[in-house]
Amino acid sequence: MVTPGTRPTVGVVKLTSCDGCQLTLLDLEEELLAIADRFDLVDFPEASSSRSAGPYDLLLVEGSISDPQQLERIVELRARTTTLVAIGACATSGGIQALRNWGEVGDWSAAVYPQPELLAVLDRVTPVGDHVQVDAELRGCPISPTQLREFLAALLVGRRPRLPDEAVCLECKRRGIPCLLVTGDGTCLGPVTRTGCGAICPSFGRGCYGCFGPREQPNVASLASRFVAGGLGPDEAGRRFGFFTPLAEPFRAAIPDSPVRPPEEAPHARNA
Amino acid sequence: MVTAGQIAPAGSGFLPRAGLDALIALLEDDGRRVIGPTIADGAIVYDEIHAATDLPLGYGDEQAPGRYRLHDTGGERAFGYAVGPTSWKAWTFPARVPIGTAERDQDGHLRFAPVVADPPPVAFLGVRGCELAALRIQDRVLAEGPAVDPDFVARRRSALIIAVECTVAASTCFCTSMRTGPEIADDAADLVLTEIAEGFLVRAGTDAGRTVAERLPLVAAGDEQTSRGRAAVAAVREAIGDPVALDGLAGRLADRLDDPKWAEIAERCLACANCTLVCPTCFCTSVGQRSDLDGRASVTERTWDSCFSGDFAKVAGGTFRGRREDRYRQWLTHKFSTWVDQFGTSGCVGCGRCIAWCPVGIDVRAELAAIAPPPTRRSIRSAPVAAGGPGEFITARIDSLHPETPDTTTLVLADVHPAIAEGAPGQFVMVTRPGLPAVPISISRYHPAAASIELSIRAAGPATATISGLAAGDEVGLRGPLGRGWPIDQADGRDVIVVSGGIGLSPVRPLVDALLDERDRYGVIRIFHGARTPADRPHADDLATWADRPDVELATTVDRADEAWPGAVGVVTHLFDQARWAGREAIAFVCGPERMMQATAAVLLDRGLRPERVFVSLERHMDCGIGLCGHCQMGKAFVCRDGPVFSLAELGSNFGREGV
Repeated sequence: MVTPGTRPTVGVVKLTSCDGCQLTLLDLEEELLAIADRFDLVDFPEASSSRSAGPYDLLLVEGSISDPQQLERIVELRARTTTLVAIGACATSGGIQALRNWGEVGDWSAAVYPQPELLAVLDRVTPVGDHVQVDAELRGCPISPTQLREFLAALLVGRRPRLPDEAVCLECKRRGIPCLLVTGDGTCLGPVTRTGCGAICPSFGRGCYGCFGPREQPNVASLASRFVAGGLGPDEAGRRFGFFTPLAEPFRAAIPDSPVRPPEEAPHARNA
Repeated sequence: MVTAGQIAPAGSGFLPRAGLDALIALLEDDGRRVIGPTIADGAIVYDEIHAATDLPLGYGDEQAPGRYRLHDTGGERAFGYAVGPTSWKAWTFPARVPIGTAERDQDGHLRFAPVVADPPPVAFLGVRGCELAALRIQDRVLAEGPAVDPDFVARRRSALIIAVECTVAASTCFCTSMRTGPEIADDAADLVLTEIAEGFLVRAGTDAGRTVAERLPLVAAGDEQTSRGRAAVAAVREAIGDPVALDGLAGRLADRLDDPKWAEIAERCLACANCTLVCPTCFCTSVGQRSDLDGRASVTERTWDSCFSGDFAKVAGGTFRGRREDRYRQWLTHKFSTWVDQFGTSGCVGCGRCIAWCPVGIDVRAELAAIAPPPTRRSIRSAPVAAGGPGEFITARIDSLHPETPDTTTLVLADVHPAIAEGAPGQFVMVTRPGLPAVPISISRYHPAAASIELSIRAAGPATATISGLAAGDEVGLRGPLGRGWPIDQADGRDVIVVSGGIGLSPVRPLVDALLDERDRYGVIRIFHGARTPADRPHADDLATWADRPDVELATTVDRADEAWPGAVGVVTHLFDQARWAGREAIAFVCGPERMMQATAAVLLDRGLRPERVFVSLERHMDCGIGLCGHCQMGKAFVCRDGPVFSLAELGSNFGREGV
């Protein structure tokens, strides 16, 4: 918790990720000056060459843990941080690269790299919360600028940020978008996916890909049955839950041939 | 053109197909936005239209549970389909509206202001029988009190209603069972149209409708045309049949709260909330803040919410409806049962939207038939609502603060509006600051002569922590006094038992104050209080004062004692379950954690107290405080408006039931 009335120091770091989430901070164009005024952005390589090793009142962490150095780094960063926020699908539930967990890392690297022996990567991709305490999550691929702004505003005022854990469907209906599962035979993960994006994909006639991960009380089994009734095979229906947040339960369990997680990777408590 | 001799009297007659453009044009000439059916995203939705060609001319729909498809059937019919996913509430009760603003001015004073809608005039073209019924239900809920939503009233008043009788039915329709259609009475709308092959039979139901009809190129309708129109509507009635047994349904459902079928439905239910948001009568909302980065100014916004969301029934300790089966049961029983108790009609109009737009095709008609049999009904009294709508806060100043327990702080407020400072014991206020969500807080003492009240606030979340951390001189926004407090008048001449747990002492403190103010009106007064530890006892000074009074019997206990604690250890019911008093004529007031109240109620009933004389104060997620937002519903009651104080008789089997 940040003391209201102070100017919190903020760091932004990336692990295995595409930078899209941290760039969302720069997308808050109209309020960048106010943010720079109210927050002390001590370490944000995408915006400034000035660096800081902390300590940080607030640290935004983008990306998943894929190699041994990241594992050490996240533990060090945690020790220097008051409020650590995992931002984006990679940091919160593995991201697309976590799909490699469904195969053997050696097979992948041999298929992609001419000299795979030069790589030092972990067998499994994991989210940040598997290794250190995460104080809050911003979901999505990428995160929503509206939610990031809400999180920062709430932090300054000292209230709980409004990051609802309901289904995407509510926002879809508020926007007056007819349900794609009812008007067509396509798939949409909206009913099991956490809101926050503003129902972007359904507004363009595309089913939700689930990039915000599971909502509270997701009924994955019933939705998978709906996909099967719409013409998908059971395995194909299960794979629909494995795009952007494949490590988030219960999406992970719905994906065919889910690898069993070793017990030492049991996640820390993660909630917003 | 039409000659004078052909004009039909009193705004009724036949409008040729080409006259539809004239109708839309003259509505626009009158300065109205015309909202009507049009095709978007593979469905017939309601949106602004400017010409007859914007209507889904020649289109028909195929609807089934979880399925909706459009077909171009050729021809010119403008209304040859049933209702689609949009309902008129998108205009009368929009999904997202600002309702208030809050700011800190340059001198540091807080300014609260409601936002009052000033909507442009609109015309709704193509309102079906079920939808007229839905608008009447919205009127009953949102405009006819006891609480009134000014935003709805303004938008509803601005709308001219042009209804259309259905001449086709979808497989999902059941207006006939709900007695809302397909026929539309003359006076049910400003204008009523019935489509036949060559045009529209027109009837005006109001003066506003007649002034429109008089400017239309109407001709007298032939008897044969009129009977063709009647036959088409009758065929719809015939096609739908009577799929829901409405008589006694409310009571039958109320008796089925423990049916195992709720859990079976929950295996299919996605809890996606689509049914509630496409429903034309569902009115549940949430109020939230959008604040600037400084928390200096904020806008209070009302958005559609749903009883299918986890946050909807959440309080500091968790959610009251954690399971999907709880949420489906809440929705179905509210719609078909407790709505009748609250508003005098069913909440369902039989439009079938919840059936077609359920992604997994759950059909309420089938579920109602599966969860059925015999009726009972109980009534609940409602408190008169005191202060205004959810956006209307009044500024008060913090005079002083003092800690009660490690997590609870008492704020003494000054400059409190007299309506609040003269409230009743057991009532509460909504408390806010710019950028903070409003939180419901019981008034823990009244000082009406000093325009002051006390609020004892447990820092359960960030908002309550922020308010607890304010300083003397800071301001807060108040709305209230809200709810129905302790029924002190019923204690006249009786022995009184007051039982509280922990911070539950705060809502009963003004009750004890009132009892002691007129001590001779009551028999023996017994006060019991339990806390987790000696440090968790709030209002310790008052407990000491009461202990010293010869005309009060006070007993207190703690769950865990320290070495300095001289008193009893154990749960609060141990203080009186061995006592030698008879309770048959006594009255009891109980406030504390829900499990403590359940245990206390059980012991009091064992000691002979009657359920109608045991009162408890419930905690629920209260957002609007006046029975408009739906969060705090418990069966037929809105806890904020009809409670928070209820007798055990009023609560019946809902008290202590999981997931209601």
